Order: sequence, then structure tokens, then C-alpha cells
Amino acid sequence: MKTRFPISLIFPPQGHFTQPYLALPCLKAWLQQAGFDDVQVRDLSIEAYDQFLSPAYLQYAADKVQDRLPLERWDTVESLPFADMGAWRGALESGLTAPTLIADIEASKALVRGEGFYDADAYIPAMRAIYQGLRLVSAAHFPSELTPHNFTMRYANDRSHEVLAATVDEVENPFVRYFRQEILPGLIERRPRVLGMSVIYGSQLIPALTLGRLIKAALPECHVTAGGGFLAYIGAKLMQAPGIDACLDSMIFHEGEAPLQALCEALRAGEQDLSRVGSLTWFDRSQAGHPCVENPPGHPVHLNKAPVPDFSDLPLERYFSPEVVLPYDINRGCYYGECAFCTLPTVIGPGYRTRSADTIASHVLELRDRHQTTHFNFITDCMPPGMIRDLPEALIENQAGITWWSDARVEPKAYDAEGAQRLFDAGCRKLLFGFETATPRLLKMMKKGQSLRSVSEVVKNCAEAGISVTLYAMVGFPSETREEARATLQYIEDSVPYVREVSLQTFHIDEVALTYREPERFGIRILDDPEADLQLYHDYESEVGMTQGEAAEMFEEMMTRFAEVLPIFSGDSILYFMQKSHYFLHLAKGMHPDAFAAACVARAERGTPLPAGSDVRVRPGLVAQPLRHSYRRVLRTLHDPLARAARPDFLTGRYVGEADRIAAENLSPAPYEPRVLVYDPVQHEFVELSADSWKLLGAIERAGSLGALLAKSGPQTAAGRRALAGFLGELLRLRILVPEGTMELPDYVLPRQEPANVPATHA
Amino acid sequence: MSQSKKDQATESAQTAAETQATQAIQGSDLVEELLDLDHLDLSVEAIDERISPSETNVFDK
Repeated sequence: MKTRFPISLIFPPQGHFTQPYLALPCLKAWLQQAGFDDVQVRDLSIEAYDQFLSPAYLQYAADKVQDRLPLERWDTVESLPFADMGAWRGALESGLTAPTLIADIEASKALVRGEGFYDADAYIPAMRAIYQGLRLVSAAHFPSELTPHNFTMRYANDRSHEVLAATVDEVENPFVRYFRQEILPGLIERRPRVLGMSVIYGSQLIPALTLGRLIKAALPECHVTAGGGFLAYIGAKLMQAPGIDACLDSMIFHEGEAPLQALCEALRAGEQDLSRVGSLTWFDRSQAGHPCVENPPGHPVHLNKAPVPDFSDLPLERYFSPEVVLPYDINRGCYYGECAFCTLPTVIGPGYRTRSADTIASHVLELRDRHQTTHFNFITDCMPPGMIRDLPEALIENQAGITWWSDARVEPKAYDAEGAQRLFDAGCRKLLFGFETATPRLLKMMKKGQSLRSVSEVVKNCAEAGISVTLYAMVGFPSETREEARATLQYIEDSVPYVREVSLQTFHIDEVALTYREPERFGIRILDDPEADLQLYHDYESEVGMTQGEAAEMFEEMMTRFAEVLPIFSGDSILYFMQKSHYFLHLAKGMHPDAFAAACVARAERGTPLPAGSDVRVRPGLVAQPLRHSYRRVLRTLHDPLARAARPDFLTGRYVGEADRIAAENLSPAPYEPRVLVYDPVQHEFVELSADSWKLLGAIERAGSLGALLAKSGPQTAAGRRALAGFLGELLRLRILVPEGTMELPDYVLPRQEPANVPATHA
Repeated sequence: MSQSKKDQATESAQTAAETQATQAIQGSDLVEELLDLDHLDLSVEAIDERISPSETNVFDK
């Protein structure tokens, strides 16, 4: 009789919510090919986002905020200290937004998942509602923050005792309750023999260990293992942490296929000795004290023999996109593998391996037909020149009829005009190139192996073929000066419109990179934190060039300028950039990057036209809160580099030592400053008004319209008329005031503008 | 700001805060006779927090 051997593969929160991840579908397909016929894949990240952004959960969150952070707490405070600003903000926002979000959140999700996605005037408010919903969820678990891009808590990711404490924090860790109520019952019923978790980001560490702990307590016989990119960095340290064996039985390093198969075969055979499973580190529970055993690395698989990834278990309709974009790995590792800052080839696994172009085309066709989607995200560090030629030919020859996007390396010969056109013809709509810097000296230090001239050529060729180009750029590489960073900024500025997006990152040193191993080559001194037993990223001191703090300031300067020169970064158009596949889906639907950029510019620049003879009324339904402190001033303080240093770093999850104290000492409290915060429940935006502005808005509302009010009395001075015109123009732009009714308004108040010439949505 | 003006402003705002926790504009009880359109501070500040600068490298996450 066949032994039942259920396996559950879990993607723990937090990953982004626009498209599924690849690793677990690859592992499921591999295990099935090896004869395991009961393998379940679950993306608990999208399941959690969907659950948290539901009316019932948002109501729970609103009640929890009221209980934990009552706004009345600050009613008698004269000035608001920095230490209170985050909590005050959470309490304030939640009170204003909760009723609307509870009512609207399902419609907002439905819009992003449907055809309304392609209408910017509908999409932007819907995405804002999703952001605000997550702010409400975060406020309920303050100071924890769940955003579309991250999950952080007050606990440092690089200290094991803090990470483990976070896994049992019922108040601030939203996943304790979520897993216990929503996930654990089903897993207990299923009783998997192996539960494997894919942890590729630092933001998944605490949720993964939270789930592991709950599973180990409920199903002691279930073997809980974990692997993935982030654990490839810190896993060896984590497995030595006291108490980690309450959350995990083992950890798999690098590529998961072969080790997971061997682990499942051993466990199915009832073996307790797992020492023959390659690339596995495990706790020998047959021995006293559960010693940690580190096995030698196993062999990677022959990638071309790996089966088609199996996405069949994933709820593809629940991702926050109108059409699914499937990830597919055309190769693993990096054929170049020299860049001094990059450690991805190290953590992905040994060597560079690729599938053949014919295999890729065959798999893509199968996935296309299986899931009825023509959109793909090719997962690759970069395609070698041969593949840049072969893959498009194979896709065209097979009439794949797909669109796709991927990362890329600047290869001037491969991305010539003809090659770029071939890529476009084969469905390539967006490429993200590792550009890094415009300073040749730094490119050489980075061992980047590319010239500015080649970057310019490749970018131009791709753009002219109709492919949208994104550049990855870096600020703060050791010895980089402000002038050199500004040269990078200037280069990008000069490259518009060929360059559509920039993904800018401040430089980080991790323990695998050449910059850490040979710091003297880069003129830096690495700083260690003896208390951080999971330390991966390190601060450093540089003999020349910008300090880390100065690099953070330069980052701000560059981002500010990008918002001015890159159309997709302008105004609220930035939301397209913020979501992994959303801009791509417009390109996939037939929109040219030029047309999309023009629409972004028009959107950012447009006022609200006021038709001749139209009167103005206050938009119904606005919600307002009188304030004792300026919300905007508080936000500015919370965005100060000193304040951000007091939060865990986005990329690394680290806290900067003493940052809380330094921020509190240096950042001014918010003074007493009466204001009114208005929440627009249609646009899901906040507007801060002076007390006088609020009074005037009330007067317009009570008079019935602006025209009715001005018929009774108006400003008598030129200055008063200018102030009124400015007020009206801004509130019309923000849609707090809307054209309605007919009335000949005095010319001096009218911000009459012609409608912006927005291009047709799709070619 | 003089002490007396500051006291007046404090008192005015405290009154507003005490009487209105969260109010819809329809229910505003601010009195119209205070309006002098030539001497109002009509500042409006949009909250432009559409991107958190620390979350720009979002392609991987």
C-alpha cells in the first residue's frame, strides 16, 4: 500500500502582491517528477494581503487602533515629540480613513484586478486605498509596518534573540493571529510530513519563523525546513541561534530541487539520519541537545532537464493585477559574475546554468496555454549574448505571441539596433539594465565591465525599438564623491526619454561581497556589530568620498530630481513604478512607452478645467479632523534621514545603533499649530488646510456654491483676490472642490485651464 | 506671536478639537461672520507622500 506523504510548500509573507513567485512552483514540479504526488503550494503572502485588506479585518484593525492608540492621548499635549509622531500619525489616519476603507476596499481590489486597472483615474485611487488599508493594518500593530514592499517590526533582523521574540509577540506581529486562525487549521487537517518555506527576502524572516514555531507546536512530527536567497546569506548563523530549533528542523542552502527531493525521500523512508542529504543543515533530534549538523553541498540540477514550473495551486486571480504575469527562469546564476558589489550569483548557487532557447520556448507555450496568459517575467540576472539572439528567434519561430520583461546586462553587440528590434518582435517590452554609475573610475572599481558609451548605445537601441528601459543605479559606492553622484544624475537626465525608470539604491556591504572580503581595495574599514549574531550587512568608514550619511542625503537629492525629469516618477504616476508588473501590463497591452510617458506628464500637470459658466461646489463626503499639530510637518520629520535611520532599513532590516536617541535629540517636536486634516474618500488622499481655509470651505458649503458665497461678499483687495484664486485652483486640482452648476464667477478667481491633451490609452 | 494672541489661538483650537472629533464638512459649526476674505490664511497643503524614498528599489520586492 502506498504511504501517504503530503508535502506543503509555503511562501511566507511578505513578498509583493502583483504576481506569483517562481521558486515553489519549480520545486513542486520537480518533486512531482520525482514521484511525490501530494505536493501543495501556498503563497501565504498574497493570502495574507487579501485577508488583511478585507472589510472584516480592517474593522478589527480599526478597533485595535482605537484600543491601542486613542488619539485623545495627545489632546493636551502642547508639542508633539519625535518619539510620539509615528503613533500619532497612525491614530490620526486610522480615525479618518477606516470607515471609507472598510466600505471600499473590496471594490478597490476588484478594480485593480479588472479592466478598470487600465484607467489611470480609477487605478490611482484604488491603489491609494490599498496603501491606506495597509497603513491601517500597520497602525493596529504599531510600530510594525506592513507595506506593499516590506514588513518590519521593532525587532532587529540581525539579532536572533529579537527575531525569535518577534515570533511570539501577539500584539505587534499580525501573523501570529493570522496564521493561528486562518492557516493552521487547514495545515493540521492536511498533516503534511514536510513543510518547506521559501525565504528570499529579509521581510519574510519573522513571519516564516512565526509559522514554523506554530507548526512545530501543533504538528511535532512534521519536518519544517526552509531555504531561499535570504537564508543562503544568514542561514548558517541562524541555525546556530539558541532556540531556533523550536521553529525549524532543517535548512536547505542554495538551489532547492535536489536537496528537497533527497530530504523527502529520506523522511518517507523513515530515516532519522539525514546526513546524506546534500546542502542540508539539520538538527539531529535523535541526539541529546539536538546538535546542528551541516552536510556537504549537493550537486545542482541540470537546469535544462528541470520540468515546467507548476503554478496550478496558486490563486492567480487573487494577485493585485488584472492579468497574471508568470515568472520563468531562463537561467540561474550569472554568466558574468564579476561585479564587486553583487553577491547574487553566490547565494543562488554554484556556477551558471541555462536552459536552451528551445526548452524555454516550449515551456513558455505550455504555461501560456495552461494558464491562459501571454505575459511573462523572465527571471535572470542577465542573458548572455547568445541567448539574446536565440531566445527571440525561438519565440518568433514558435509563434509564442507573448510579451515579457527581464533584467539585463549591457551587451552592446547583442543589443544593437537589429537585436533590439528582434527582441521587441519576440515580445520584449521592458528591460532593466545594471547601470550603477556614470563615473568610469567607479565602474572600473566595481569590475562592471561596461563603458558609458556602450550603455548609451544599448539604451538608445532598445528605446528606439519600443522597449522600455529601466536603469539600476547606485549611490554611495566606496570613495564616490557628491560630484560623481551628480554626474550619474546628469547622465540619467540626459538619457531621458530613452530611460523611462530608475531603480536607485544606496550602496550596502554584505558579508559575501568583494567589498567586504577585501575592504582595503576599496579604501574602506568595515565596522562590526558584536551583538548582531545574524549580521549580514555592515556599516563602513571610507577614507575618501561620501560618508554613508552623505550618501543617504544624495539619494534624496537624486530622487527629487528624478521626480522632475522622469515622467513615470511625476506626481501620482509614481504608483505605476512602485508595482512590479503594473507599468509592464500597459506596455503588454500595446501602449508605447512614449504614449505612457506623455500620459504621466499630462496627469501630473493637469489642473481641473473649469468650464465657462460653471460654478464650484465642495465635494460631498469629505472627512476632516481638527489638529493641534501639523500633519505635514510631522510627515516631513518622519521622512528626515535621521528619523528613517530609526526605522529598520528597507533593504537590510537593520537598525542603526542609537538612531532613536539621536533622532529624538536632533529632530524638533511638532509645535502647537492648529490645522485641519481633510481626507478625500474618493481619491483616498489627505489635504491639510489652515483653520481659515477650512472655514472658507465650510462657508462655500453652507452657501451652496462658490458663486452663491461670492454673490454676498468677495475679497476687496488684489492680494485677497490672488489668495482666493490660489486656494480655488489648488482645491480644484485636488478635487476637494468640483465644478457643478452654472454661475458666472468673477474672472479673478477662475483657474480656467484647458484640458490636458492626454493621448489615447492604447495604440 | 504675543502671549495674548497665542492664548487666543490655543483656546480657539482647543474648542475646535473638543467639539469635533471627526466631523463631516456638512456639520461644520464655524460661524460665517468670522470670514474676511481679504485677511484669511488660505494655505492648502497637498500631502504628497506617494513614494517613500527608502522604498524605491521595488522591483525585487
